[in-house]
Amino acid sequence: MSGSGLIEGYRAAVAAQLPASVADELADGLAETYHSYLEKGLGADAAARAAVAEFGEPAVVVAAFTRASPARRAARRLLLTGPLIGACWGAVLVTGHAWTWPVPLVARVLAGVSLAAVIALLAATVRISHYRPARRAATAACAGLAAWDLAAVAVTMVLIRHTPWPALLAVPASASRIAFTARAIRSVLAP
Amino acid sequence: MRAEELKGHLDALLLAALEGGPRHGYAVMEALREATGGRLDLPTGTIYPALHRLADAGLIAGSWSVVAGRRRRVYQLTVAGRRALAGKRAAWRDFAATIGAALEGGPCPDPA
Repeated sequence: MSGSGLIEGYRAAVAAQLPASVADELADGLAETYHSYLEKGLGADAAARAAVAEFGEPAVVVAAFTRASPARRAARRLLLTGPLIGACWGAVLVTGHAWTWPVPLVARVLAGVSLAAVIALLAATVRISHYRPARRAATAACAGLAAWDLAAVAVTMVLIRHTPWPALLAVPASASRIAFTARAIRSVLAP
Repeated sequence: MRAEELKGHLDALLLAALEGGPRHGYAVMEALREATGGRLDLPTGTIYPALHRLADAGLIAGSWSVVAGRRRRVYQLTVAGRRALAGKRAAWRDFAATIGAALEGGPCPDPA
């Protein structure tokens, strides 16, 4: 492959996997690297090969961006805080005798399945080494978790006659998490 | 010196490279190479995600310009970044003195 083809191929490879602004920044850095080798006396093809080698494999660079991505950070934080908020809601269910609440079985099953799906998406986000799939998984997880929190707060505030005391912890915790997920989605989807 | 040997110190190195003034990603790498006599063996592409992480943490700020028809992001230290750099320098001096004392038998630094 010619030098210019090598540079273009590299740029296309990162542009296909990373946000446009990141791809632009990398393209500028790669061009600078290439020109620095030209200035050192290398021919165009050799300079392109040296620049691409110095920059690192596109997969390595994409994986490094994925590790540092807002999606990965948000997923880690939600996985870390999840058990605490989950414990608060568990206490609400137990002390409020959740089995007596006027919530249909289908809704109960749906709540459990959706929560499991959110946890699976968060776990996938911290393991995926590709940027865009991690971004999609984190966005879906954040949206799902916000919906779950909203539903939990609504059920507690509207349907339950005698709100159990652990709700004083669980409702603000969920409200904070809704605010966090809204901010996280904006950050994850930033171009 | 390879990437895995720098683990935990890359942030301090990047902040130090920006101490002299605003730089774009490749210039940061060049500054690091120059400062270390070319002993750093990092894929240049992996510097950029680290810079993004520092920007997200508010330690550096990035701004865009256009140079030779290309969009370029230039980074500079924030006030919080300068504070963080000072803290990392002090921690490194303490760490290096402590390990140096253990390995070479010199006096251990005063923990105060």
